[in-house]
Amino acid sequence: MAMFEQHIHEAPKDFLSKYVISYDHKVIAKQFLWYAIFFLGIGGMMALLIRWTLAYPGQAFPILGHLLFPHNEGIVPPDTYAALFTMHGTIMIFYAITPLLIGCFGNLLIPLQIGCRDMCFPTLNMLSFWFAFISGIFILAGLVTPLGAAAGGWTSYPTLSTLVGSPGVGQTLWCLAIFSLGISSTMGAVNYITTIIVLRAPGMGYFDMPLATWGLFLTAILNAIFVPVLGAGVLLLIFDRVFGTTFFLAGAAATSGTGDPILFQHVFWIFGHPEVYILILPAWGIVSDILSFFSRKPAFGYKATALSMAAITILSTLVYGHHMFTTQMSPLLTQSFMTLTMTISIPSAVFFANWLGTIWRGSIKFDSPMLFSLGVVFVFGLGGLTGLHLGTVTTDLYLHDTYFVVGHFHYTMAASVLLGGFAAIYFWWPKMFGKMMHEGMAKIHFWGTMIGLNMAFFGMLLVGYGGMHRRLYNPFVYDYLEKLIPINTFITVGALLMGVSQFPFLWNIVWTFRKGKIADANPWKVGTLEWAIPSPAPVHNFDEIPVVKCGPHELGNPALVGKDYQMQTEEIAKA
Amino acid sequence: MKLAPILWAASISAFAQTDMSIWDRMKPPKDISIEGFGSKIDALFMYISLMDTFYFILVCIGLFGFSYLYQAKRHPKPYYTYGNKPKHLMTTLVIGLAVFFSIDSYIATTSNSDLLNTFWNWPDPAKEDVLRVQVQGQQWVWNFRYPGADGQFNTLDDIVTTNDLRIPEGKKVLFQITAKDVIHSLYFPNYRIKVDAMPGRISRLWIQTRKGETGQYDIACAEMCGTYHYRMQAKLTVYSEEDYNRWNQEAREIAMVGNDPDNADNLWGWQWDITPKAVAQTGSN
Repeated sequence: MAMFEQHIHEAPKDFLSKYVISYDHKVIAKQFLWYAIFFLGIGGMMALLIRWTLAYPGQAFPILGHLLFPHNEGIVPPDTYAALFTMHGTIMIFYAITPLLIGCFGNLLIPLQIGCRDMCFPTLNMLSFWFAFISGIFILAGLVTPLGAAAGGWTSYPTLSTLVGSPGVGQTLWCLAIFSLGISSTMGAVNYITTIIVLRAPGMGYFDMPLATWGLFLTAILNAIFVPVLGAGVLLLIFDRVFGTTFFLAGAAATSGTGDPILFQHVFWIFGHPEVYILILPAWGIVSDILSFFSRKPAFGYKATALSMAAITILSTLVYGHHMFTTQMSPLLTQSFMTLTMTISIPSAVFFANWLGTIWRGSIKFDSPMLFSLGVVFVFGLGGLTGLHLGTVTTDLYLHDTYFVVGHFHYTMAASVLLGGFAAIYFWWPKMFGKMMHEGMAKIHFWGTMIGLNMAFFGMLLVGYGGMHRRLYNPFVYDYLEKLIPINTFITVGALLMGVSQFPFLWNIVWTFRKGKIADANPWKVGTLEWAIPSPAPVHNFDEIPVVKCGPHELGNPALVGKDYQMQTEEIAKA
Repeated sequence: MKLAPILWAASISAFAQTDMSIWDRMKPPKDISIEGFGSKIDALFMYISLMDTFYFILVCIGLFGFSYLYQAKRHPKPYYTYGNKPKHLMTTLVIGLAVFFSIDSYIATTSNSDLLNTFWNWPDPAKEDVLRVQVQGQQWVWNFRYPGADGQFNTLDDIVTTNDLRIPEGKKVLFQITAKDVIHSLYFPNYRIKVDAMPGRISRLWIQTRKGETGQYDIACAEMCGTYHYRMQAKLTVYSEEDYNRWNQEAREIAMVGNDPDNADNLWGWQWDITPKAVAQTGSN
């Protein structure tokens, strides 16, 4: 399918062009990986500060508290608290999860799995990382400005995020950061889409791609369409803040004509709802593949899975209004958005059926990538089902802006996507770095994370139903929420357990670099194209562009002799 | 992993501090709305939760059951199938449709009829006895405005209170809500309902308290509105009919003398029957 000759370029020699200004998709993937792990650490620390405040209001944060807040006896102050949850959300969504799954694994997997030597536009790819890097500096710079970082929530609704509510430069920096990250994501998305359309290896149809590539493809489409919308929205917000326009101003503050703050919510959520799927689709694809690889049988209903992902991609663009039920849109819109939201259940159920169908009558090996993938099925089950409470208008009237929402989106976005990301890290580490990660530490990492996140996020669902609303510095000023203190402590313990469980992961990385077993070309014994080349992958990936003859999940075919898998470059074995 | 039991013990001990059971802690705030208002939301919530539990148990049976039955040790030969035979596709389709018809279509239609028959069934002050209140959210207080003896809003005899809403039991209360500076959200936990207060827009909400539920309750702001968002708390007092009338009479007299005609800030209200266009389009009325 390759429409032009792919030349083999000489490998870069000096440090700068090899590791910094690199055009190699694999190096850019690694850059995004470290970037994501760095921001995961920062976002995680912020989460612990938030959780501490909610479980032990008015008490000094242990150990670090006096260092961070010397003027407040080590207690998190309320304005800092607002900045913390804003930055936690922004960093985790845009700077941790997006770079991990889309930046890192999008870059790594797409060329390797479709059998080409690099992305279509290597320069664009390089720029994509460096724009993300600049954006990361903007977002962190907000933390050291005089009035502190952005503090209007990760949604940054005007008029709170205009000068009316946030006079500091931190909010402007937040807008700039999101805008430049939008540029980065759009460049990446254009690159991914073009590469998948143009550079698939000869013989590889769309339905011969691994499901991970399918997920990344659909994600890139959503990114290319909707990230520019967010970019436009925050650009107008910057205009309101810096040039005195009134796109989103109304009420007493709009002295020179009025705009409409709700307009921003529409712009934000028409991006924001697809964003949820932008994050989850790669994880779904990765999990679908890994479940098949470790069950040693083909993915159950491959086409149905790919088409459900495509259906969800389309539906995700039509349901954004369910985030805005309490703004009293017209009843017609409210009813339509509810009905459309409900239809997402059908492809989601197909998905789950196919996941379970894949492990049904398999021959399951519980290596760490498989454990994390099974974990995704569990947590996404909870996350998806709790979405039903929120997509229904009447129950949403009660649950909107409570911790139920927080629990729901942590299950879907944080838990599922993180577990999927970890599965991918453990699975493709050998291909990236040529070493096998330590299996024992990976399992400790899995169980600690799994137990911790379920304690934390299920607790959030409970306090949400108990009526506790979001973004409160001290919820217990309300009498009816006082009884929820123990559950909040329980959540914090879970969050702490989850945080502590990341140390085996970090240690595993260090250990693997020093003492990890050298990986052979195909340690997991699977057939997709990236495992046909040596580990770590050479600079030009494939000495010869492979010719694809079968699907990505040819495992467990009884006609095979001596092995239970075959590469995508082989004809299907016939009995 | 030795840390896990310690953390576990710490969290268990957190619950053991008082004699309140964990089930009581998880209960939502007391519902004091009339029958068929908050209870409709609770009922739908319970229905969704039950169906969720059912389907989640199915997922878990598949997940844990298959993981046990088909682990490589017990089941070394995998079943080679693409899962694309007609019977496989039918199974998948049936599961998808079962979920849709047992949960989604039921809850969507129920929710829709609840909206039309209750939450969007706006009381009409021209036809029935309705208490009208105007609400303005500002950083970080709730202002409430009752009409004075003239029945008009935004006149000098209005009763204006801050963080203090008093209503009679059993009577419909209709709010018109806006915000002065940033977006707030008027949240009545005890009625299971909230609506955003937006600058430049007027939104609506109505509630009705069950007879016999007099007392003090909380009103919260549910939308992030700045540093002291968590302090934006108002008190709701539900009076019996006669207590309410007594308070209302006193408050009117105080307002007649107390409202400063030179202070323009006092007149943040608006005429109740402003052009329908300005009212957020929230259902037929």
